[in-house]
Amino acid sequence: MDIKTIDHLCDLSKLNYTDEGKEKVMGEMSAIIELMDTVKEFDVVYDDTKDNNSISYDEVRKDDAKPSFPAEKLLSNTQPSDNCYVVPKMVD
Amino acid sequence: MKLYPTIGLEIHAELLTNSKVFCTCSAEFGGEPNSRCCPVCSGLPGTLPVLNAKAVEYIIKAGYIMNCEISRFTKWDRKNYFYPDLPKAYQISQMPRPVCLGGHVDVTVDGEQKTMRINRIHLEEDARKLVHDDIERVSLADYNRCGIPLIEIVTEPDFHSAAEVVAFFEKIRMMLQYAGVCDGKLEQGSMRCDVNISLAEKGSDKLGTRTEVKNLNSTKAIQRAIEYEIYRQTELIENGERVVQETLHFNDATGETSSLRSKEDAHDYRYFPDPDIPPIIFTEEELAAIKADIPEMPEQRVARYTGEYGISAADAKVLTDSKSISDFFEEAIKVYDNPKPIATFIVVELMRRINLGELDLDDMKFTAEDFAKLIELGESGKISKDNRKIILREMIESGKKPADIAEEQQLWIKEDNELLEKTINDIMAANPKAVEQYRSGETKVFGFLMGQCNKILRGAASPASVKAMLEEKLKG
Amino acid sequence: MDLKKQTLGSLREMLDTKQISAAELCKEYFDRIKTTDSQVLGYITVTEEEAMKNAAKAQEAIDKGEAKALTGIPLAIKDNICTDGIRTTCASNMLGNFIPPYDACVIEKLKADDYVLLGKASMDEFAMGGSTQTSAFAKTKNPFDLSRVPGGSSGGSAAVVSAAMAPAALGSDTGGSIRQPSSFCGVTGLKPTYGRVSRYGLVAFASSLDQIGPIANSAVDCGIILNTICGKDSRDATSANKPAEDFNAKVGKDIKGMKIALPKEFFAESTDDEVKTAVLAAAKKYEEMGAVLVDCSMKSLKYAVAAYYLVASAEAASNLSRFDGIKYGLRGEGRTFDEMIRDSRSRGFGDEVKRRILLGNYALSSGYYDAYYLKALALKQQIIKEYNEIFENADIILTPTAPTVAYKIGEQETDPVKMYLADICTVTVNIASLPAISVPCGYNADGMPIGMSLVGRKWDEATLIQTADAFEKSFDRRYSEV
Repeated sequence: MDIKTIDHLCDLSKLNYTDEGKEKVMGEMSAIIELMDTVKEFDVVYDDTKDNNSISYDEVRKDDAKPSFPAEKLLSNTQPSDNCYVVPKMVD
Repeated sequence: MKLYPTIGLEIHAELLTNSKVFCTCSAEFGGEPNSRCCPVCSGLPGTLPVLNAKAVEYIIKAGYIMNCEISRFTKWDRKNYFYPDLPKAYQISQMPRPVCLGGHVDVTVDGEQKTMRINRIHLEEDARKLVHDDIERVSLADYNRCGIPLIEIVTEPDFHSAAEVVAFFEKIRMMLQYAGVCDGKLEQGSMRCDVNISLAEKGSDKLGTRTEVKNLNSTKAIQRAIEYEIYRQTELIENGERVVQETLHFNDATGETSSLRSKEDAHDYRYFPDPDIPPIIFTEEELAAIKADIPEMPEQRVARYTGEYGISAADAKVLTDSKSISDFFEEAIKVYDNPKPIATFIVVELMRRINLGELDLDDMKFTAEDFAKLIELGESGKISKDNRKIILREMIESGKKPADIAEEQQLWIKEDNELLEKTINDIMAANPKAVEQYRSGETKVFGFLMGQCNKILRGAASPASVKAMLEEKLKG
Repeated sequence: MDLKKQTLGSLREMLDTKQISAAELCKEYFDRIKTTDSQVLGYITVTEEEAMKNAAKAQEAIDKGEAKALTGIPLAIKDNICTDGIRTTCASNMLGNFIPPYDACVIEKLKADDYVLLGKASMDEFAMGGSTQTSAFAKTKNPFDLSRVPGGSSGGSAAVVSAAMAPAALGSDTGGSIRQPSSFCGVTGLKPTYGRVSRYGLVAFASSLDQIGPIANSAVDCGIILNTICGKDSRDATSANKPAEDFNAKVGKDIKGMKIALPKEFFAESTDDEVKTAVLAAAKKYEEMGAVLVDCSMKSLKYAVAAYYLVASAEAASNLSRFDGIKYGLRGEGRTFDEMIRDSRSRGFGDEVKRRILLGNYALSSGYYDAYYLKALALKQQIIKEYNEIFENADIILTPTAPTVAYKIGEQETDPVKMYLADICTVTVNIASLPAISVPCGYNADGMPIGMSLVGRKWDEATLIQTADAFEKSFDRRYSEV
């Protein structure tokens, strides 16, 4: 675990750390990854057809449209504008 | 240095389902902002995606018509990235186990038939937002179109010109419309195309650096974008500069491509199987039933039109090149079972009006039934064939019924038998030599005599009546 | 009324024979909460107003003679289960003011039977943890010893039951989060088979592992609640279509001849001696009742914690990506979209949640996916295989619920790896989608509760409850003194 990797993970995760925080989490993540590395000792390949969690086509939801949620209810946890979510611009 | 373009496509087509692909909201176009949304498609906490069987049926149909292999085991994956039009910050798509693999579609370009290979087709949710730009610093997001079922058709890089791409795109559009899985309404965003293009020296086995132009939503845009990109890359290469691998946006106004300069280029999508969606295993019977349910495709309609109705191959092609026209024809022949004259009048007259911009099939004041009635009036001799044009013009303008128009404009052929007989007698008397010729076997003078009669009669008798009586009298 | 000695059965009788009204019962619990929760801190939100409304409706049903098992019964609900119109925080600053506009499926089912909502119970933030000390709003204490943790992540739910501030509660279990706090707090907690209960409305942590389940004072009470909340839900494609059954149907039936397997790896050095002793004593008890003890082995147990954390964190990283402050939740500041969401998330999430997101994205990222995430999925398949092999020779598996009793607050929560390793006894059950129940089986020298876990075959909650109940009937259970 180095700072570069942490920075990359922070970009993927959309998280910020102070410099101190980053040092701290880098140490924690190193220890955690060491624990995760134990899986490397296990030598088997994953076969996704053997999970036994599949369903048949006739179990899939039929195409009936149902009434939607009232917009005010959906947007009740934010400050909408004209029933739209307010989003900052992508780039400066 | 002769540079040769190699192009691959990703075509997105919205499926014609009632509900969205992972929730029960209506998939209908339009609606007030966020009026076709629910906690699931809006990404509220605690909600789960539930797959739509119709969307699965439609992608299987699309796969069959494009000659793909349908995967017996298929599953959905999460494509993770952050963007304002992605409420869950992941898009449910398919990675290693798409519904359709392989496939090909033939296109004809400049008279030459080419086979374009398809790499895969997968089913995913649309991540489009309709953003109505507000004050400078913010955008307003409407998730109505989030969760609309989308198929993504990925081709092999088999294309080498804008013409090939346009022909293919139009063919796919037509095929998907015929299969009933997509309405092909480009102005509503029902289909979009991403183009991957690179240039290399002809004959070289190495491909050049490719760029991707995203979200082209009309054949014109596709053509212009490809032409511009070929031009731009050619300039760079000829000047000894490098082509940068990047994602581009096509500007309709300027006709140029420009870089989507944002961090979104360097994505690590971290695909992994979506644990909320159980994979599906299809049986042979299920697939066969779906395949058998595919509506008639253009080739099948052409075969029926030429084989059963005796319509010419050229006319059959014109009719089937647009599903709306073909459907119009099908409606008409249901009402008046006389395909040939209906087909001819569509091809000659109706198409002319459409091409002149006088008529829009999606916004007509009259119906296929009205059109059929018009043809019937002509065939049964109640009006003259020439007057059909006049009546049609009025139908286009006012939507009035053909019989009403004929009545108003006094276009009925009045069967005046007395006048008819007198006229024929007069003409025969005035042209003894022609009559002599006909009676001695030169039947081609019949046309001349008919013409003379019609000149006098001017629609006072139907051509059929004139012909019948003239023939009889000539027989003597 | 001695709330500590009440069961759902005893309350049902009192309500139906009009010894107490639903409103009075409700008030009893609120009085208890007022005197006790300032010490235990089990609740994030106490819903007195809502409860009185619920109680009025329940009383109508009772008066008509139409009461169901849970009509008028007050319950605490873990704060990651959405309750329409009532703040649901997941114990996170990210959702401090989030008011869901809809009810979770389990809440709809409870409402249909006119239950009474006492309040939303505290938990580890976003269900990530084993101590409830990562809660942003109420760092719950163990009612048996207020200087110790109640366990987690359903620590609030377990503590309120243990402290008689609710006769029962709903929790959620992803890697042990119902069972371990039940064990630490000396109560009974059941994690159903994956798919038994709808996850619609449960704020997702790890989608392939999460299940909602009951925490109560007995196995039978857990069965009563499971009877009400289970069932296929069209809004959760992973919920299973199983025929209706009464999970208490086998209670009281003889367990003679039942084969109980004890996988040796669960009784190794990682487990404290005092825990081993209590659980093995319970095993002996079962033997005396006529059960047959079977030795067995789970060779892959040593990889289980890593496999679990890789899968769970990967899914969590993805599930938590939707929290950006735009649609709901803490809204950060920033001139651009990227700046703003980074600010929302950095301020809204606590340290443990952030670590798990980083870990999850690491496991899924390009170059690491095969080595970590896919490998973890392969291990998942292996662990399922090993459980299947064990169940060929056994009806039920018995293990300790946790390697230790509840530890002192501050002792180990700051060491992530230590915390992760403490999940060794519980995670394989989630990985294999099996049902399991934790039952108090002893107390250590300091009087802290020790829990044992019974693990069953898929869909066999009835056997679990039967077996757990058989032990409970003869077990001298202690109550917290808070």
